[in-house]
Amino acid sequence: MRASHVAAFAQLVVSTILLGGIYALIAVGLTLIFGIMRVVNFAHGEYLMLGMYLAFWAFTLWQLDPYVVLFVAAPLFFLVGLMSYFLVMRGVITASHNVQIFTTVGLSIALQNLAQVLWTADFRIARPWHASVVVPFGGAAFNLSQFVAFAVAGALTLGLFVFMKWSHAGRVMRATAQDREAATLMGIDTDRVYRLTWAIGIACVGVAGVLMSPLYSVYPTAGLQFVLLAYVVVVLGGLGDMVGALLGSLIVAAVEVVGSYFLGIAWKEVLYFVLFILVLVFRPAGLLGQRGAETLGA
Amino acid sequence: MRYWKAILSLVALLALGSALAPGAEAQAPKGEYKIGVLEPLTGPLAGEGKRHLEGYEIMRDIINERGGVMGKKLVFTVADAPNPTAAASEANRLITQEGVKIITGTFSSTLCGAASEAAARHNVIYWETSCVDPKFTRRGLKNVFRTEIDGTGFGWYMIEFAAKHLAPKLNMKPNQFRVVFLSEDSSYGQGVTESARDRAKREFGMQELAAEYYNFRTINDFTPTIVKFKQLNPDIVFAISYNNDAILYWRQAKEQNFVPKAQVSAGATGYGSPDFGKAFGKDADGPFALLEPAPGFKVEALRPEGQAIERAFRDAVQKRTGSHPVGGHQLAAGGLWILKLALDRAKTDELNKLRDAAMSLDLPVGSSVNGWGVKFAESGQNANERVQHYMLQWQNGELLTVWPEEFTVKRPKWIPLPPWDQRK
Repeated sequence: MRASHVAAFAQLVVSTILLGGIYALIAVGLTLIFGIMRVVNFAHGEYLMLGMYLAFWAFTLWQLDPYVVLFVAAPLFFLVGLMSYFLVMRGVITASHNVQIFTTVGLSIALQNLAQVLWTADFRIARPWHASVVVPFGGAAFNLSQFVAFAVAGALTLGLFVFMKWSHAGRVMRATAQDREAATLMGIDTDRVYRLTWAIGIACVGVAGVLMSPLYSVYPTAGLQFVLLAYVVVVLGGLGDMVGALLGSLIVAAVEVVGSYFLGIAWKEVLYFVLFILVLVFRPAGLLGQRGAETLGA
Repeated sequence: MRYWKAILSLVALLALGSALAPGAEAQAPKGEYKIGVLEPLTGPLAGEGKRHLEGYEIMRDIINERGGVMGKKLVFTVADAPNPTAAASEANRLITQEGVKIITGTFSSTLCGAASEAAARHNVIYWETSCVDPKFTRRGLKNVFRTEIDGTGFGWYMIEFAAKHLAPKLNMKPNQFRVVFLSEDSSYGQGVTESARDRAKREFGMQELAAEYYNFRTINDFTPTIVKFKQLNPDIVFAISYNNDAILYWRQAKEQNFVPKAQVSAGATGYGSPDFGKAFGKDADGPFALLEPAPGFKVEALRPEGQAIERAFRDAVQKRTGSHPVGGHQLAAGGLWILKLALDRAKTDELNKLRDAAMSLDLPVGSSVNGWGVKFAESGQNANERVQHYMLQWQNGELLTVWPEEFTVKRPKWIPLPPWDQRK
């Protein structure tokens, strides 16, 4: 094997892992909301976009590094999540899926256009020092900001996994996801569970936006680029499964990177959507999801 | 008494004479003439759509200072077309509810087809000033005109620049060039890239190593493609892109330390957009973009009538935006000025008469805004060879006109492109 082939192979592996990290970062919040609340949040990408704008403006106006902004972003987006739950989601949480879909699509369009009115449609990019630091790694190279995004994605996934598995709140959330009526009869305040789930999900995606701001252009429809892909990841990994989200992200990234290299970049969506369909046909609950462990069609 | 009558007649004749004299067009226009302007003002293409609209508005004001169109003040009714469905429905609305007989726009090749077909159903004139999809004027629609070059023209110029300018500078023959094409996959990217590929291979025998197409709305990572390009080691990368993808590709090319001898693109988006410079500052230096004239442009190289309107336009853009005109401004303004010439000649917006008037326009290169000339084909397409285009290069964070030599005082730099850490 020639040295250039080894370097190329190393680069593809590194790219897969780091790109998978980006996708996981977006998907964990989505899988939480999707898994617990059974709400298809089409506005997920717009919260991501708001996170990117927060980091961009903090950097542009006050020279604040996105990694500093991160500490503000998590509680801030938790509050934004609570607010949007009370204003929008609470009214439709028991409505049919169609109503929920229309509501989140409406929210998505409203947020996109609000961003456009407030900040125009210009493409912006925050350039903190680490955005241009390239780290050589065994013949491959990667961007430092992308590595940090991957590391945080891993930590976030692990943290949520532990929270869901062993904390009381996590158990309550899982119980609500499995059977809302039974949970209510057991004295669980399901409204509170949904409120908390939505707010944590939005906080996660807000953090994702901040971490992605040095890597991708910030513009009002920036979220659209990622949200469909995040759904593929979530379904692939299993609804509500944090580790599944990470696994799904790595699989989608691998399919994308390897497909782009060997077949051409035009093939990447064909490949991962074929994979998506195959998983739906042969394992509808996802790779790690447990069939029957949730309320279906509630 | 006779003397009084003679004096009054003389005064009346003088007044009439002055009204017919060449300066008459500067008279204040009477009444209003409304046209529809359809642009993507929301959605992913909104940045360019708004710049385009700004170009229209600046040129509309210049036109009105010069007597309007057909002696009337030109006014717009503006509609938002973020996607093809909206473009078609808004075109219908402009026609049926606003009563316009002419629609202009739309900047994007993804929108112009749908909008012009909606206009065709109502026999309304569709005057495109920007989209370059070659199919646009090949559908046999009688209501369609395009003032801008089509994609084959962009492709032609890109290869012309590589073969006639880059080859001698690199001490190579065009048939020694090993090239790759990287393009977004809408009709814009495909139209330009396919014509460039065809000319590169057929006329100059350039060796094509790869041609990659991608969706600009969903692309998140170019690394695998760049790794592939690094292994292929091309001399030139021909890239057609929108903004987000150009920024992503350039950043990742730097991360992977990928440096071809030159990178050549075309169009007011991607490498030709101010957003690219804003995103990278000095790191933007190096790539070429085929566009409208930028700083360095020699206005004196134009014909006198072209110089006058070009200067008026540049001054107006400077006054309104505080900077030089950029691609979207110029495409819209150049096209709207030609529409004014056609309307003034036709004196009506009736389709067949306006069509005849447009067909009879025959202005050489250098006659209008951007140094454009006019000669419409039966298809409604302005002749590619009359729509003069220029190669611009990012130098010190600014786009400068560098080619053809006769139109500019600046010269291309960094041929071949030096490694990333050695660019000064």
